[in-house]
Amino acid sequence: MRAERTLDQKRTEPTRSPWKIATRALDRFGVSPLGFGCFALIAILPLIPPFNQEHIVRWLVMGALLGAQAVAFDFTGGYINVVNFGFASIVGLGAYTSTILSHTEPMIVIHPGMPPWLTIWIAAFVCGLIGFLLGALTLRLRGIYAAVMAWFFGLALLGLARNQTSLTRGTLGINPRPLLDTNSNVPYYYVILAMLALTYICLRLVTKSKYGLAFRCIGANMDAAEASGIDPTRYRIVNFTLSCFFAGLLGGFYAHYIGILTPDTAMSTNSTVEVLSLSYIGGRSSLWGGIAAAFPFVILTEALRSSLDELPGIQMVVYGALMILVMIFYPSGLAGFYRAQVDKIRQWFTKS
Amino acid sequence: MNGTLIQSSLIHKASASMKKDTAAWIVIAVTILTAIALGVFAGATQLANTIVLGGMWALMGVGLALVFGVMNVSNFAHGEAFMVGSYVAYFVFGPVQKAFEGTHLAAIAPVPGLLICILAGVVLGVIIEKLLIHPLRVRTKQGWVMNAFLLTAGISLIMSNGARLLLGTKFRGVTTYWDLPSINALGVRLPSDRAAAFILALVAIASLWFFLQRTDTGRAIRAVSQDEAGARMVGVRVKWIYTLTFALSTALATLAGASLLFMFPAFPTVGLRPLYVSWYILMLVGLGNVGGSIAGGFIVAVLQTATQYFLGSVWEDVVPLIAMILVLLLAPSGIFGSEVKGIHEQ
Repeated sequence: MRAERTLDQKRTEPTRSPWKIATRALDRFGVSPLGFGCFALIAILPLIPPFNQEHIVRWLVMGALLGAQAVAFDFTGGYINVVNFGFASIVGLGAYTSTILSHTEPMIVIHPGMPPWLTIWIAAFVCGLIGFLLGALTLRLRGIYAAVMAWFFGLALLGLARNQTSLTRGTLGINPRPLLDTNSNVPYYYVILAMLALTYICLRLVTKSKYGLAFRCIGANMDAAEASGIDPTRYRIVNFTLSCFFAGLLGGFYAHYIGILTPDTAMSTNSTVEVLSLSYIGGRSSLWGGIAAAFPFVILTEALRSSLDELPGIQMVVYGALMILVMIFYPSGLAGFYRAQVDKIRQWFTKS
Repeated sequence: MNGTLIQSSLIHKASASMKKDTAAWIVIAVTILTAIALGVFAGATQLANTIVLGGMWALMGVGLALVFGVMNVSNFAHGEAFMVGSYVAYFVFGPVQKAFEGTHLAAIAPVPGLLICILAGVVLGVIIEKLLIHPLRVRTKQGWVMNAFLLTAGISLIMSNGARLLLGTKFRGVTTYWDLPSINALGVRLPSDRAAAFILALVAIASLWFFLQRTDTGRAIRAVSQDEAGARMVGVRVKWIYTLTFALSTALATLAGASLLFMFPAFPTVGLRPLYVSWYILMLVGLGNVGGSIAGGFIVAVLQTATQYFLGSVWEDVVPLIAMILVLLLAPSGIFGSEVKGIHEQ
């Protein structure tokens, strides 16, 4: 054992450049050097002139939020091939849980007034638990049944949020406490970037482990996976629970950032399809594709919306059209495009 | 050894079908009891209204089941066809009503709107099928059911938000639709709008049934739903059947939207409730089961009204979910069973 280790050390000795050490460290977190570079670029974006205006930072926050949601969505949709059609409702559940637990004004029946920093995490655990229960009930079923059941569940949650007016104030909307005591968007941006990084790294590490292999296997062919000794239901439930956990976390952030929470903006099927289309445009089962798609598209659609404010819902039409185009003509999305280009460049180098 | 295996699998199958039958009988018994309870406590008029609504839900469910059974497309844009139907009916009905005012034709003012709606439904169905679903079918190698589901979800997103862009968020409804006297019989007061909607639903379902059972094209549709390769071998033009089926289903949905205009005013997201209900019917009776979804429409309408009446609107959305989870635990492929092969992929 000891001999092996020294041998290993010797072998790696000559290549101990700082670059190698850094890439290795990054690789341990599932991040490629290019990915880290892009993340660093995104992180300094609010300091660069065209992006340092408050309203553009706000778009960036929304982009990061949607990107992180797309990562959590892709974790189920892209890997185990179960499309969680109630995703937005789980996010909304997280938002409402965190809001109600941190509420201090006596407008609703209970107002425990816990600090938002804590309630975001409680919301995440609540959503993870709900995801576990929902998964245990529906993930025995085949893909389309599970997707439709998740949708029914989402609609039931939406109905509850509308009707339980003593808790949620219904369609009037509730004002969550702000997370940070500041008027600027920049601190929020760094908080959501940290959450984005956390979501991405956690889920990437899971997909790199043996669990990820099992997920891919189930996603590709459930019967074959079952025949080779994988219990599909168990792995699917693990996957679903994790995804819901992060959905709840992001929902908590959403509530304390956006400042007003109504059932129909937070939990509608449209929001699910928005996240779904981002993760599809980004490329299925890539995780990072959703982030890469979210930033440009959110900025584009927000710019479109603010210049044409007579046209509500135009960004949804753009998302829908792009998703359909990607599904029909380029099913592998942005991530597939990137991989194809990398392969081309590699081939070009090996040829010459 | 082999014999015992076969035997045990047979026993397994038999117990599964017995479970399914049990679930079917439980659901039917509960529905009948609830219907009686509704009739006793809420009055016969309420029960009649429920049955009228059931006819329309059956119309929606049949369209969705047909498309799923024949094409394996789990259509998420079915509600948007309903929305298109209600908009077209609204925009045709207004001028027609004005033109017919005072003449004998005033009583049948919705008829032109309904006809144009059916036409619009056919055109919409052909466009969606030819432009989007067919290219996806050509390119998809696996996971077709899920892909089609997501594609139609995208279509639904575009259509509902497109309607919001073009027409705004105004509710466009009518107060009197069929200008006929209401029906009073056996202590039931049935407004003419509802009676007409029910008759329309019955006529539409009956003619669909006749079309599927008695005509050559209908037989071809059923053949494709049973065995696509076999149908192709005996000379059925499968591509054409697909387009026809989708157009037919969309036309049924637009017809439902048009005839329920008095109840559901035209609105960009008006399709959500009918979509939810028709999917609920489909999951309840088994995906792609056309005959079952007729019964399913009435079952869902009765249970829906009963939940609203007896439990109030607070739990209105949770009770159906719990009921569905119970049904699927007992009978995972619906109470009347589903024989569509596509659902077994992922």
